[in-house]
Amino acid sequence: MNHYLYDGTPEGLVSAIASILDSGDDPEQTVLAVQQNTLFEEGMLLRTDSALAEALFERLRLRAPDAVQTLWYFTMAETTELETSLLRYIALAFEHGDRVNGYLTHASVKAVVATARKAGRELHRMKGLLRFEQLRDGTWLARMEPDCNVIQPLARHFSRRLRAQEWFIYDAGRHSAAHWDGHALSFGTLEQFSRPELSAEEEAVQQLWQTFFKTIAIPERKNPRLQKSNMPAKYWKYLTEKQGE
Amino acid sequence: MGGRGALHSLPLFRLSSYIRCMELQEKITILSGAARYDASCASSGSNREGSAGGTGNTSQGGICHSWADDGRCISLLKILLSNDCRYDCAYCVNRSSNPVPRASFTAREVVDLTMEFYRRNYIEGLFLSSAVNVSPDHTMEAMVRVAEILRNEECFGGYIHLKIIPGSSPELVRRAGLVADRISVNIELPSSESLHRLAPQKKKEAILAPMKLIGAEAGVSLVERRKSRNAPRFAPAGQSTQMIIGASPETDLQILRLSQGLYRKMNLKRVYYSAFVPVNSDNRLPVLAAPPLLREHRLYQADWLLRFYGFSPEEILSDDAPNLDESFDPKTAWALRHPEFFPVEVNRASYATLLRVPGIGVVSAKRIIAARRFAPVTHEGMKKIGVVMKRAKYFITCSGRPFDKLDQQPARLRQSLLIGDGSEPKVPRQLVLPGMG
Ligand code: SF4
Repeated sequence: MNHYLYDGTPEGLVSAIASILDSGDDPEQTVLAVQQNTLFEEGMLLRTDSALAEALFERLRLRAPDAVQTLWYFTMAETTELETSLLRYIALAFEHGDRVNGYLTHASVKAVVATARKAGRELHRMKGLLRFEQLRDGTWLARMEPDCNVIQPLARHFSRRLRAQEWFIYDAGRHSAAHWDGHALSFGTLEQFSRPELSAEEEAVQQLWQTFFKTIAIPERKNPRLQKSNMPAKYWKYLTEKQGE
Repeated sequence: MGGRGALHSLPLFRLSSYIRCMELQEKITILSGAARYDASCASSGSNREGSAGGTGNTSQGGICHSWADDGRCISLLKILLSNDCRYDCAYCVNRSSNPVPRASFTAREVVDLTMEFYRRNYIEGLFLSSAVNVSPDHTMEAMVRVAEILRNEECFGGYIHLKIIPGSSPELVRRAGLVADRISVNIELPSSESLHRLAPQKKKEAILAPMKLIGAEAGVSLVERRKSRNAPRFAPAGQSTQMIIGASPETDLQILRLSQGLYRKMNLKRVYYSAFVPVNSDNRLPVLAAPPLLREHRLYQADWLLRFYGFSPEEILSDDAPNLDESFDPKTAWALRHPEFFPVEVNRASYATLLRVPGIGVVSAKRIIAARRFAPVTHEGMKKIGVVMKRAKYFITCSGRPFDKLDQQPARLRQSLLIGDGSEPKVPRQLVLPGMG
């Protein structure tokens, strides 16, 4: 086994993978991990080289566009400890092209694809579960705490959908925010956050929605377990219809 | 405008009095309560890009925005324009002879609710239905108006599903198709005799004529749009229908043949089945201990086989056994009747053959085919790629190797399937009452 280390940044990861692939080592016989600086750590530290990372992306985009997509979702999941799987996955993507995502009997492919799928699922879920509230100044704010870092594609989705209103999306766990001003998207961080005052109408509309939510369920078919499995309780905190539960 | 698009007037509160809001609360309670039994909440099948200054687009796969206390997905503001019905269909809670509270929305109210809910991302759009108020055309016109205001005045690009009131004029059906993503005419009951008996004011022709018209218009629009991207779209997410199961004596075979005909000849996207729930006492209706939910569930499974698995109604049922098996899903029941077809070798079988294996669905079949390009799939591999083996294991081999000792004795196999399954997994059943309108 060959052992390599990288600095723990996403860019460092991709550039480390690039240099291993260039080195000619067999990925199936290579292990990659974050440098911990412990005394007995094994392995050679690979320097982060953004040009190298960039070039790898470009080559992969040509060879296996679906794999780039998978890679992108994989990053959103912010998983650590799957670096070795990712290395082997990318090597296989260069070998087989987009068919690689079907190679689920390979443990590394399976791990990477499953992780990417998890992020994809949460992104899709948040497209439905995000709730905007109207603020006193007429702008809109949606708060969330997703497991995966989905704010970028999520904001892009809403920039096409709610383009006639000015809004913010705030990821309270990561203190990151997206802003749509009616024309363009921007991203940033918010170190301090306090929820601004709501518009005069906001509460009344929320009540109408709560009423609809209650009456649309068929009373004889109450099924809280099914509800929870479709819409896990961790998302309820910001759901208008689940306030006070 | 400087990005302050948010400073839309808020027409809902033009008369912003608390009383008005109370009144709306009450209307929502009555009119969504009356709409909740409609099976369909799908918001898929359309990809409308919103206009530059407008609000909303649609997403090809559909999006669920919440899950109600019964566990069903909420995607659309599903609501009746009115529950004040002139008709007296035996099975319906809103029939004119029932003493239930009545309410009607104004067009503006529905438009404002839709927009306010959409801006907060509560919904994908609107699903509007109605009881027959005054006359079919009068009701249909009011419903179409709502959709037209949404599209033309509010520049709304989200999803709209309109129910067609049987007996509405072709002109109104056309207008509906031009603004809605999906339109649907409920077929209500599986035969014209039953329709005549239980919904005497609805005529078979009044249901089939708009269906045919919708199919034809949608076809024309497709051809036109191939010539020019600017040609108008007609109900791009297609049409669906719904029928009540168990209020009348038709067999499952009759029902599946009807569905097959609707898919093939009328080009329907979806047929919904709703288990009959007695809400009225009426001597024309059967007395049931409980709504036939299992039967409804089996019909959905069989319908799935028609649409995605290449089965014909006659493969699923026969004149000697015209009703679906209660203990087995229709695919397993078919497999048990056809031992000569099995075991299927997963490393060689075609896609269509894999789909015939109980427990292997569209996703699993595709994954097997993708994975075996790299190396033969083993039993372990089947699990790794996510195939649920509970039922499949009795019907397959991996490179010639069966899972357990394959038990070819039909009686024993039936037994293992029943025990092995812990009977059926508890399915979230859709309980659906007779549709409105
Ligand atoms: S099914 Fe429709 S037309 Fe018949 S009574 Fe009910 S609401 Fe009226």
